[in-house]
Amino acid sequence: MTYQLALQQLTDSALPTGAFAHSFGFETYLDRELLFDEGSFGLWLGAFVGQQLTYSDGLAVRLFYEGADVGELDGLLSASLLPREVREASVKMGGRLLEIGAEVFPSPALELYRDSVASGRAAGHQPLAFAVVARSLGVPLKEALAAYLFATVTSLTQNAVRAIPLGQNAGQRILRKAHDDVAAAIEAIAHLTPDDFGAVSPGLEISQMRHERQRARMFMS
Amino acid sequence: MGRLELGISFRGGRSVASRQFHEGALRVLRPHYLDDSGQVCYVVVNPGGAYLGADLFLLDVEVGDGADLLLTTQSATKVYRTPGSFAEQRMDVRLGEGARLELMPDQLIAYREASYRQRTSVTLRPSSSLVMAEVVTPGWSPDGAAFRYEEVRLRNGIHIETDGGTQLLALDNLLIRPPLGDVTGLGFMEGFSHLGSLVVVDSRVDQALADHLHHLTAGYDARTGITLTRTVAGTTGLVLRSLSNSTDELNRLLAACTGLLRERWHGQGPLNLRKH
Repeated sequence: MTYQLALQQLTDSALPTGAFAHSFGFETYLDRELLFDEGSFGLWLGAFVGQQLTYSDGLAVRLFYEGADVGELDGLLSASLLPREVREASVKMGGRLLEIGAEVFPSPALELYRDSVASGRAAGHQPLAFAVVARSLGVPLKEALAAYLFATVTSLTQNAVRAIPLGQNAGQRILRKAHDDVAAAIEAIAHLTPDDFGAVSPGLEISQMRHERQRARMFMS
Repeated sequence: MGRLELGISFRGGRSVASRQFHEGALRVLRPHYLDDSGQVCYVVVNPGGAYLGADLFLLDVEVGDGADLLLTTQSATKVYRTPGSFAEQRMDVRLGEGARLELMPDQLIAYREASYRQRTSVTLRPSSSLVMAEVVTPGWSPDGAAFRYEEVRLRNGIHIETDGGTQLLALDNLLIRPPLGDVTGLGFMEGFSHLGSLVVVDSRVDQALADHLHHLTAGYDARTGITLTRTVAGTTGLVLRSLSNSTDELNRLLAACTGLLRERWHGQGPLNLRKH
């Protein structure tokens, strides 16, 4: 039980990483009026969890837990997160998480990652910052993945509740349904190979790229 | 099976093959020069006509300092049934100082029950120039349905090499596995059937170019996204992805983009391969 409260603090949607400012491309669908209710947002969220969070963030966390070099994984994320806004979002939130981690859950591994970011050898991506802190707290891989994925799903859903807008109860129903997406993603991540790293779905990616040129926007990505 | 090695050097004002080797079902046609720029054009031919299960095709291409290669194919890459296995193409490319490669293969067609893996690794210097385009079709099956193949993987790794070491600039990893779910819907192919992509790596790539290509592609019947990669040793990549319902429309869109780069950076006219 030693890490339970720490994990709750880390994944609380009030953790000040700036997640409220990012839609990871769903705002592009919103603008096209393809996302307009609980059902349509749930579809997008399922695709995002099953693709992007599985093949990039989730696989990065797993490979780190299995002993891959954090600097190498950091470079892989910088290279494979092709849409500029998504790459910048990951680094921006990663930077905040590294800072918060150093304040409240310091560890030698975290210091090493912070040093390589400070010296420009690494960018500091959110899933890796999370993985470094979680592992230093003794959180097992599966729990770390579940916590990371569901925290991301929660902040995206809160953003959708504000942006679409949706009712608070609809938001809770979306989150309950996303349990299945997260469970399926954890199962899928366990079976991926390093060759799968960064595999993307063209539709999600094109929307993330097009967001750069969207005129009216509430979100930075 | 097939293997092809090609080394291009700059000699006497134009680019020529200084090394060439092939075995099995891969070879190149006699080189030609499409204009007076000195750029040599090689056409890769697969006399077998298609990729089958457990087929492995290896291509090794080196473009030496100052040399300029246009590499294309004679026809579409067709992947037939690969039961219990997959067909694979691995391509390794190295570009020297000031070297240039335009890699413009015909479209990929994966038929029913086909699995295909294509792994391309490009290593270039900050002074080299790379343009690579690709179109993936939904394939065909006897009943006319699309996306009946098992799996298509296209993985491009692009590395920048300096005297201080080599760093990954971009990892462009496309994975389509129709049996695992609806690949046609929201978030995936979004109701479109064809996917086009373009990767440009050149020290002249910047946001203004991305903006220009964005306006250029707006006139096509396709949904297109353009973005810039991270920057390594002063070099940035541009990535374009486009969804459409026809190979021809995507080819026109990609040709408009590559035509602009040929004209602006090299004073060349649009590419006209007269293959069809």
